[in-house]
Amino acid sequence: MTAEKAAGTGPATTPSKPKRASAKGHQLAGYIFISPWLIGFILLTLWPIAQSLYLSFTEYSLLEDPVWTGTSNYAKIFTDDATFTKSLSVTFMFVLFSVPLKLFFSLMVALALNKNLRGMNLYRTAIYFPSLIGGSIAVAALWRNMFGLDGYINQVLAWFGIEGVGWISNPDTSLGTLILLNTWQFGSTMVIFLAGLKQVPQELYESASVDGAGKIRKFISITLPMLSPVMFFNLVLGIIGSFQTFTSAFIITKGGPINSTYMYAMFLYEKAFKHYQMGYASALAWILLSIVALLTLINFAASRYWVFYESDGGKTK
Amino acid sequence: MKMTGFTKSLGLTMLAAMLVLSACSGGGGNGGNGENAGTGNGSGESDAPAGDTTLSIMWWGTDARHEATQKALEIYTKQNPGVTFKPEFMAWDAFWQKLPTLAASKTITDVLQMDAAYIQEYVARGQLEDLSDIDLSGIVDPSVIENLSIDGKLYGIPLSQNAQGLAFNKVELDQYGIPHPHKDWTYDEFFQWARDARAKLPEGKYPIGDTSTWDGFNYYQTAMGKPPIMSDGGKTFTLDKDLFMKFYQTYEEFRKDQIVPPAEKASAFLENDPQADPMASGVVMTRGATTGSVGALEQLMPGKVGVVNLPTGPAGGGWAQSTIFLSVSANSKNKDEAKKFVKWFIEDKEAGQALGTTRGIPINPEIYAELEPTLEDKDKLGKQIYDLSLDKALPFYSPAAGFSEWVDTYRKEMEAVSFGQQSIEEAFEKIDKMGKELAAKAGG
Repeated sequence: MTAEKAAGTGPATTPSKPKRASAKGHQLAGYIFISPWLIGFILLTLWPIAQSLYLSFTEYSLLEDPVWTGTSNYAKIFTDDATFTKSLSVTFMFVLFSVPLKLFFSLMVALALNKNLRGMNLYRTAIYFPSLIGGSIAVAALWRNMFGLDGYINQVLAWFGIEGVGWISNPDTSLGTLILLNTWQFGSTMVIFLAGLKQVPQELYESASVDGAGKIRKFISITLPMLSPVMFFNLVLGIIGSFQTFTSAFIITKGGPINSTYMYAMFLYEKAFKHYQMGYASALAWILLSIVALLTLINFAASRYWVFYESDGGKTK
Repeated sequence: MKMTGFTKSLGLTMLAAMLVLSACSGGGGNGGNGENAGTGNGSGESDAPAGDTTLSIMWWGTDARHEATQKALEIYTKQNPGVTFKPEFMAWDAFWQKLPTLAASKTITDVLQMDAAYIQEYVARGQLEDLSDIDLSGIVDPSVIENLSIDGKLYGIPLSQNAQGLAFNKVELDQYGIPHPHKDWTYDEFFQWARDARAKLPEGKYPIGDTSTWDGFNYYQTAMGKPPIMSDGGKTFTLDKDLFMKFYQTYEEFRKDQIVPPAEKASAFLENDPQADPMASGVVMTRGATTGSVGALEQLMPGKVGVVNLPTGPAGGGWAQSTIFLSVSANSKNKDEAKKFVKWFIEDKEAGQALGTTRGIPINPEIYAELEPTLEDKDKLGKQIYDLSLDKALPFYSPAAGFSEWVDTYRKEMEAVSFGQQSIEEAFEKIDKMGKELAAKAGG
């Protein structure tokens, strides 16, 4: 399934049939083939990651050399930084609402697009189309204009005699607007759901029909369990992605008004590149990493109770 | 499917790690590479003046400025064959986001534009070359240079005269029978003018804008004869509580009486945006404008903009001085050529013609005299702000090194006051506490 393919790229798929003697040679060849990626990964990803861990224990203004300060960054973050607490709670709120909303919405769209109708490909393309421009700056700028005080949303509301609010300039509604934007960017999640739906064997539905199951019964007893690995994949990626939300907050609201949309990633970015505290920002990055890793592990632990893998003989518990 | 749960979770955890850290990897990576790059420093000036030199140069600004500057660079190459340029230009925000990363990798361009709001930060961290030995006599007024010195040294060649004033919508003020503000008005007169104007304006229009940034109050505190909030390179921090309470209580009253727009409206404003600019959108009758920026406003509402200097107090008010400079990187390998170029930039007549007023009123009086007959209205407004501000002007106060986060905190705490989420006194306590901590850190 999609989830396994994405997680297990690389040498796992190389055939391991040949004789023992040449196995080593094959291994070497494998490594040579992936070496461009491997070198890039070590130099451009692993090395900076290690460096950022080092920097998180320093005071580093970018303009001067880093100075080792031990755990003082972490101590300050946990004991004496109201902005950290604020941005973390803003981000948690965002994740808490936007992930389930997006999952639900994209599943509904995927179900609608899974019907065998004439011209369905056209509908699919049309609905996926906005995702091509995706989470870009242009979309964020568009959103800003739509939800501005004199934006299109309020103009439309005015036709019905409703006086709109400043969606993004009011601390009570700004975060909700960003959640809405995130939900609207459902394209790729929806496509993954759609692919998952296509893989559900038709025989299951047919035999359920023979047994007299209705539409809802079929959805609950066949579609949902068969889709659960895909759901799980989307959930994990959705949580990771939402924790890193940056563009929309940065472009649309600048984190404001009064920190109401001050996402963790934006806090981290401003610490590093606006206030010249790269050491502190690195510590923030490692804390975010720990949080996301922990949540992902919890997710995996919990998945045993609800994700259904056909190949495991249908063991869910 | 053949993988165990553990391998899967490990894979995804790694994936998560990559995603999270990619945000920071750029800066971190640069820092590592840069440690060796700067060692050739002191001895790097071996370039013969006649040899081929490429000067890298970076500035921020508008398209007009970009084109004019590129033209000036071509002129320099024509006059000095053998010197070519590698220009980089961008908008203000992008510039100040990019510069720290260049500093981290010790690859700041040979020549760079600098702003008064940031120069202290970069000087304090040893990024800029001392330019005191460039002879500017006859080009720049000695008092200007004196005024710009940091610890007795000059780190930026001033390019233009700049001043802060208040722009007003003269057409609409006339329409509603509101008198124009007059030169050297006091804060009391300013507040009273706003109250009177409220009575004459229709609903949905406001005489003045709200204020939530530190400089708005710093103008007030210094005009009243108190020291600036940050002085002595950030070692001294003065936030006068009485003045603070009085100033923001006045604005609280204004919010209640709709003399300033409601907070929700105020935070949606975006200066120089045709629809969202507080003044060009017709919502607010006045807004702050500088010599360098008032032209953009005039283009949004041609023929409607009038200007006056900032309100004054017993000690004076506003500022009028140079705030844009050309600096040379302390790590440049072409320092001599770079120094020659920055002097040429404000001295050469041909360059002066090419550059026009794209950086404000040229600092060199001779060049300004040549440009004056051809000035457009938008340029004249800028000059007018400068002339109006000059005799009452106080120094330009910029945030001290290390105070950039305090500047943000100030704005956010005051926004929380505007939205009614906390009292003025609560905001004061937080802003004052953070400022004092930073000052103590700078002192120790």
